[in-house]
Amino acid sequence: MPHEPSPAPRDLVIQMARLGDLVQTLPAIESLQEAYPERTLDVLCAAPLSSLLAGMRHIGRVIPWDGAQWRDWATGWPENPMATLQVMQQYLASLGDTTYERVYPLNQHERSHLMTQLFLSHSTREQEHDRMEARILPWAQHLRHVARERGANRVHLADAWCGMCGVLPRGQAPSCEPPPVELPQDLAEIGGRQGRWIAVVTGAGEADRCIPPPVWSQWIREFLAQAQDGQVVLIGSGTERETAQAILDSVPTLLHGRVWDATGRTNISQLMRVLQQCHWVIGADTGPLHLGTLAGARALGWYFSRARMHETGPYGEGHWVYQHASQARPQRWPIMESIALICGEQGRRATDWALWRSRMDRWGAYFDDGSGNEAVESSRADIWRACAPSLCESMAA
Amino acid sequence: MNMFQDNLNRLASRHRDLAAAVKSAAGGVLTIEPARTGLPSARRSGRWIHSAYDPLREAQTWADTHAAACKSGEMVVVAGVGLLYHVEALRKKLTPDVSLAVLLPNLDEFHDALVTRSLEGWSESILWLPGTPAEIAETLAKIGRPIRCLSYTPAALADVEFHRAVEDALRQGIARQAGGQLTIALVGPIYGGSLPITGYVKRALETLGHKVQLIDHSIHAASYEVMGALKDPRNRQLMQGRMADVLSQWTLATLAESPPDLVLSMAQAPMTLQVLEHLRKKKFLTAMWFVENYRHLTYWQQLAPGYEFWFVFQQGACLDAFRQAGARQVHYLPMAADPDLHCPMSLSEEDRQRFGADVSFVGAGYANRRRLFPALLRQPWSFKLWGNEWDGADDLRSVLQLDGARIDTATCMKVFNATAINLNVHSTTGAGLDPQADFVNPRTFELAACGAFQLVDHRSQLRQFFTEQEMVSFQDFGEVPGLVKQWLNDHAARQAMANAARAHVLSEHTYVHRMRDLLGHIGLSQPDRVGSVLRGERQQESLVKRCADDRPLEALIQDCPSGQRIELKDLAARIRSKGPTATLKREELMVLMLDEYRSETRDLL
Repeated sequence: MPHEPSPAPRDLVIQMARLGDLVQTLPAIESLQEAYPERTLDVLCAAPLSSLLAGMRHIGRVIPWDGAQWRDWATGWPENPMATLQVMQQYLASLGDTTYERVYPLNQHERSHLMTQLFLSHSTREQEHDRMEARILPWAQHLRHVARERGANRVHLADAWCGMCGVLPRGQAPSCEPPPVELPQDLAEIGGRQGRWIAVVTGAGEADRCIPPPVWSQWIREFLAQAQDGQVVLIGSGTERETAQAILDSVPTLLHGRVWDATGRTNISQLMRVLQQCHWVIGADTGPLHLGTLAGARALGWYFSRARMHETGPYGEGHWVYQHASQARPQRWPIMESIALICGEQGRRATDWALWRSRMDRWGAYFDDGSGNEAVESSRADIWRACAPSLCESMAA
Repeated sequence: MNMFQDNLNRLASRHRDLAAAVKSAAGGVLTIEPARTGLPSARRSGRWIHSAYDPLREAQTWADTHAAACKSGEMVVVAGVGLLYHVEALRKKLTPDVSLAVLLPNLDEFHDALVTRSLEGWSESILWLPGTPAEIAETLAKIGRPIRCLSYTPAALADVEFHRAVEDALRQGIARQAGGQLTIALVGPIYGGSLPITGYVKRALETLGHKVQLIDHSIHAASYEVMGALKDPRNRQLMQGRMADVLSQWTLATLAESPPDLVLSMAQAPMTLQVLEHLRKKKFLTAMWFVENYRHLTYWQQLAPGYEFWFVFQQGACLDAFRQAGARQVHYLPMAADPDLHCPMSLSEEDRQRFGADVSFVGAGYANRRRLFPALLRQPWSFKLWGNEWDGADDLRSVLQLDGARIDTATCMKVFNATAINLNVHSTTGAGLDPQADFVNPRTFELAACGAFQLVDHRSQLRQFFTEQEMVSFQDFGEVPGLVKQWLNDHAARQAMANAARAHVLSEHTYVHRMRDLLGHIGLSQPDRVGSVLRGERQQESLVKRCADDRPLEALIQDCPSGQRIELKDLAARIRSKGPTATLKREELMVLMLDEYRSETRDLL
């Protein structure tokens, strides 16, 4: 009697955070795939972002978690508890019998904890629970400490997530070919003509992390004046359309032919495609900035307010970040300096801003301001040794 | 076979008696005229009740508007017959699990409809409801489905009293059957006449088994009063207005902590229109019992669109005024008594001496009372005056008790019980009796509940509550001395009348009755929200029954205590109490997940 081959064991990564975090989870996903090629890796993420992972190689199944639907159910409970419970039952059934031997939760909140329990196989739950605790706890404490104290941490969040998954970073940035989606006719021209194509990320979600529209207006005017072959693409969500319009209105009409407004007009796959056509992506610490790195653009980040490039800077080799000197709202912006950098001149500091360049080594990504990296490497190695001693031992062996 | 006969045959297959009655009805109520589209339209008493252009389209628009609100399992009851275009359109819009019934107040009209339009293809499952309002309510109660009332106004207008009577009967049915436990946030005033009533309402709701969260603003009264001492009226108004705004926000913050099924405000509760609109946006259900004379206090005009339900103790013009000001639903809800507080007392002789008199009055020194009461002086019987705000009423000083101090409820009850004849004169700002005597004050019910005899100035509503054998009224204040003389010496007759009035209050006019009525109105209007709680559908037993062999769900709910309403947060707390190391079932984890989403900040502030 022919023996039915048993299906490959399945593991699950849970990442429920926003676009930027999901992009920065890819190093951990790739490291897991490399470490356990015989296992199938599924990923659970917020439903609106699931298309990002659709084109990723080696991901078994993407489970879209529909938070809006859950909110609706929670609201619907008082009106009809029985129907709500039953619809949840149906939802459970729609997920099939999928349970996992290993689950890698990357968010430190109750929902993530509940999901882990929900998806973890009954038979391995207790054993895996202890393993997870041992793997995750030191890193969770480290991240909490960083969030609280900030301090001199140099371990990138994407690499800390590798640690949480019990794997070392691969030492190279992930990349992804955008799915072949159609773009609106005018946006399809992006990248079509010669020149330096720059994607400008107009928004940042929270108001205190947004770069004011007049700053972008000035940046675009100056850039288009200096780079005769320069082309600018405005990137943002539907809520940023007005901002983009205000920026466009302040750009002289003669230059309008070199500015494309893609705000609110693309889904994630289309946005990736647009970013793939750009040489650079510039903006605050935002999802599209990170998505740009995945699509192959070089990133130039302006990090201010609570954003710190050592934790959430663009992942990979050769990106740049202007980091503001304090958490206070910047009074000056590195407009001319960043244009000079993009136009091929030597990178230089700006008043109140330090300039950093991203690099990669065996501990993952880090940022270098040109002052040497030995101390940096040693501090990152110390953190790895403290949080993941057995991994470091296996690495040394 | 003609269409009428065909329709009768269809009807007879399920409603034999009705078919016979319609056959013998004379008809002739509707005047049938062709619409522009060629379809028959109709007038009743000269008014179009369907579109003269396109009755079909008009009916579809009406059905589109209402169908979305109708929920699976409900019985939708339509008021308004006409040519039934709207009923056909609605039936076609609704899913089969929504039942549809039509009230038939006038069989002649139904006869006309069946002569004019065919029932074929849409009417098979319609429940036709002839009969009296009580019979209709009974029929619907037996079916036992949640009821949602809809009105096709152009056709319903001619029978508005009948439809109101049906709604009353349905509401009373809901009130009688109410078995579920609501959570109600009761928002009280900072001070004033509605403050003690807030306490009575709280007790009544709790007596009915509901959970009441009192948002008590009276604790801020001292600060509010201090601001009232500011001499500059602009500053005074500004400060008091700002304080009311803050208290309104305070209410919002309190509601956010534990969202109730219903926010019930009492008159003068500090709630701004802005806050009410915000609550509405967040799907909070709000109601206000306006226990004030709408002619004297007029702030309701600004707040009218803010509350989902208004309850007022005046009828007629008052209801119209509220509707015109933008109130969505306004209902009549008269005052009442709280028999736990307003009750007969056995008093010591000392208390009888101290608080008793042949004639007493308890109340504030309104202008009309100041003008009328001197006529009660120098009479052969004793007269005592209790209450505050009598400053400057020098001629009444000799009978004013406790130097015009404010009288608390306990003292008030002693006076009521110790007095032979309690005078009850409704306040006005004019010189005599209230010329617009269209409500009955709480004191009328309170005195009656105490078993105390009273002489009350006549009110247009009085005989709705008390017969002439239960309460004596006067139309002119000049009658009072004669009435006192007549009744003072007839203790037995006074006692008999007072006892009868008390019995009537206990059987029909307590705050428990009123709250049952108030919730009945809301339950009828919100069959899927308050209505379903009142029907007990959230109780543990009901949920277990509805698990329909779903074992994991059944087990989850069976774990909860019986006889209690099951809320998501309770269910989640129960699961969490198993401890962090417990191995939870999938269903339990799903409930905890749902509770996580529920507990997200409701963004109320």
